Amino acid sequence: MKNIIQVKNISFHYPDKPLLFDNLTLDVHEGEWLAIIGQNGSGKSTLARLIDGLIVLDKGQIIVDGLTVNDQNIFDIRNKIGIVFQNPEDQFVGATVEDDVAFGLENRQVEREKMHEIVKKSLMDVSMLDFRNRIPANLSGGQKQRVAIAGIVALSPKIIILDEATSMLDPRGRNEILDLVYQIKKDNQLTVISITHDIDEAANADRVVILNEGRIIDEETPENIFQNTGQLQSVGLDSPYTSQLLAALKHRGIKPQRSYLNDEELIAWIKQLISKK
Amino acid sequence: MSNFLFGRYLPGESWVHQMSPQSKLLLSFYFVIVIFFANNIASYAALLILIMGVIILSGVSISYFLKGIRPLIWLIIFTVLLQILFSSGGKLLWHFGPFSITDQSLINGGFIFIRFLLIIMISTVLTLTTTPLAIADGVQTVLKPLKGFHFPVDTLALMLSIALRFVPTLMDEMETIMNAQRSRGVDFGSGSLKHRVKAAVPLLVPLFTGAINHAENLSTAMEARGFTDSEHRSKYRIYRWQMKDTISWLVFLAVGVLVLGIRKW
Amino acid sequence: MDKAVNFEKVTHTYQVDTPFSQNALENVSFTIQSGSFTAIIGHTGSGKSTLVQHINALLKPTDGTVSVFDRIITPKTTNKNLKQLRKKVGMVFQFPEKQLFEETVIKDIMFGPLNYGATEEEARKSAVNAMKLVGLSANFSDSSPFDLSGGQMRRVAIAGVLAMNPEILILDEPTAGLDPRGHKEIMDLARHLHDHNHMTIILVTHQMDDVVDYASNVVVMDQGKIVKVGPPKEIFSDPKWVYKMQLDLPSSALFAQKMIDTGIKLKTLPLTIDELADQIVQIAGKEGKKDE
Repeated sequence: MKNIIQVKNISFHYPDKPLLFDNLTLDVHEGEWLAIIGQNGSGKSTLARLIDGLIVLDKGQIIVDGLTVNDQNIFDIRNKIGIVFQNPEDQFVGATVEDDVAFGLENRQVEREKMHEIVKKSLMDVSMLDFRNRIPANLSGGQKQRVAIAGIVALSPKIIILDEATSMLDPRGRNEILDLVYQIKKDNQLTVISITHDIDEAANADRVVILNEGRIIDEETPENIFQNTGQLQSVGLDSPYTSQLLAALKHRGIKPQRSYLNDEELIAWIKQLISKK
Repeated sequence: MSNFLFGRYLPGESWVHQMSPQSKLLLSFYFVIVIFFANNIASYAALLILIMGVIILSGVSISYFLKGIRPLIWLIIFTVLLQILFSSGGKLLWHFGPFSITDQSLINGGFIFIRFLLIIMISTVLTLTTTPLAIADGVQTVLKPLKGFHFPVDTLALMLSIALRFVPTLMDEMETIMNAQRSRGVDFGSGSLKHRVKAAVPLLVPLFTGAINHAENLSTAMEARGFTDSEHRSKYRIYRWQMKDTISWLVFLAVGVLVLGIRKW
Repeated sequence: MDKAVNFEKVTHTYQVDTPFSQNALENVSFTIQSGSFTAIIGHTGSGKSTLVQHINALLKPTDGTVSVFDRIITPKTTNKNLKQLRKKVGMVFQFPEKQLFEETVIKDIMFGPLNYGATEEEARKSAVNAMKLVGLSANFSDSSPFDLSGGQMRRVAIAGVLAMNPEILILDEPTAGLDPRGHKEIMDLARHLHDHNHMTIILVTHQMDDVVDYASNVVVMDQGKIVKVGPPKEIFSDPKWVYKMQLDLPSSALFAQKMIDTGIKLKTLPLTIDELADQIVQIAGKEGKKDE
């Protein structure tokens, strides 16, 4: 499998702070949905900013789709990566929805005629076309995040990074945004990196990386990550719902073979228990 | 606070909305200049009628508009009071210590009040009917000649647009912070001047901290979206001079001439 | 039990017929008992925040009356003499860390008590206590609140409200943006304050799991009206209605629904993991245990 992002032996520290990353290495496969989980302060968002060249490495190298992240390549790299940030308010640059979607296109000096076409199409992709004249003050958080996604789709990137993009939304808004990104990923064959502390979001990823105090402590499929509930707890994360239910059953004397099953597997297993009765 | 209109944009399709921002901006400047030529009741009345007409054409109800600028009117009244109390000349009507009121100062105060009111009205109409981005574009076009002197016109325009875009956000935040501090026992509206200044600290510190946070996050987001400098960008919107602009200019020029004709020379 | 809060036909209108008109309260009547743990739920924009801001008179009814203990607020109530009320009703806003402003943590926490007339010494004592309650080490007392992590700042802000020793504590989405550990710490604090300090807790939330795990009484709002009041069991008993209110089911009910959809029969819709696990043990019976 091709690695679309290679993070090679990087070190990084914020001014006046101890080393956050010390010789960190991570590959992101082309076309995968990678969840990076960890509690606040674990370095998740910093990693995203390093990949996009928004902050500068101390040591090591990051390669994005064949290009090393450095001053010369920075704009080509930002053409390949779109980031949805945490705070919906603080990434809304335009005066209205359509102006905001156009912002990235204007930066790339796209022709006006073409820009109008792309803006319209992108807003349709996120079902926000009817809102194109709205001002940010009259949009919900979820709607603002949709606009942010439209602004990214407009630039046809290869990679979307969700930097805790759903953490300030209500559960409904969160699910809608995730469903939307799934759809866009599928339609455009994108790679998605979702930085999150929502374990249920991670459960739907192809691969999960646990980051704790700047170190990768595990890198596996969700199924395998979730088997180790102790590890999740030790880094301050929840275990997935099904694991919690399995633990409660175990406590009541029913012992499953594994400590993580997805919804379907768990229901099948419960059915089996009942039929044995 | 949420009915405060100054600096807000109200989406719409009215006559005024459809005018080009450049001509709205220039007309506003022009209007302000004309205000300073007015010096009697007739000339002020002409300007008031004109601005009322503009407000009607902007599709905003007048009572709503007046309510929206009320917080600023207190500010003007305060200024005008100072003006009245400290100016001299004319027939003395009342005095106490350093304060005095004369018939002349009353009339002057009244005129100053109307002047301020007119300025606030025209600038509120401007922001109500023009998106922040369009205002910024207008500023950019109007200031373009300065580019020759290496004046950062584009950057200034973009800064202005973003600043205006964040006005409602910061207003809402201010309201929340005020409520939070009220819940902690702060009384914003009363007490001595010293007390009021002291009460402003728990409001202003969080407000500025928040604004700085917004600015930091925003600049990161802008950079991530490929922003480098404000000059090498294309434009999503263009604003064409329209019949509406021509007609508006003709009306404004006519009123200007009228004011010059009826003012006291 | 005594009534802590009582709404009597309360209506609140924010600038009617303006382009910025915001949702209002419409003829809202309900009671919160002293010492209860009440959750207020409803989709975004249903009027939850407007409702709770009436409890400490940040907003006043356009019509109707709000009583908080023996204090009655009507449309005619002036802004004077609200201090005694506001002292009794602690209000933790969404993202309360945004209200911090003092140079040191301890000063910020003492701010409320001092405003309410406490002496320097009393205020300090309350602040130290509040820091203990929220689990902030005394070492932070002289740090600048702006040097702390997001989760710590939030706890400082909550301590600043607790230091006023309120009898009613309103928490408006107190865990928004926190990681799971931070979330649990704040929610457990709310439970502690309820159980041990006998505070009346009013929680505004979107997290249905918190509603069933912590609250004993639930108020459901929709379009400025109260559409249902009752214990969690009653509120979530009709999933279709819950969805109609644009709300979600708690995780356990959601999972149980999935089980039911595959043909497994459950007696009642379980709301918590323990309830669901108990039911599974019941229907799977001892046979299940033989798996061991």
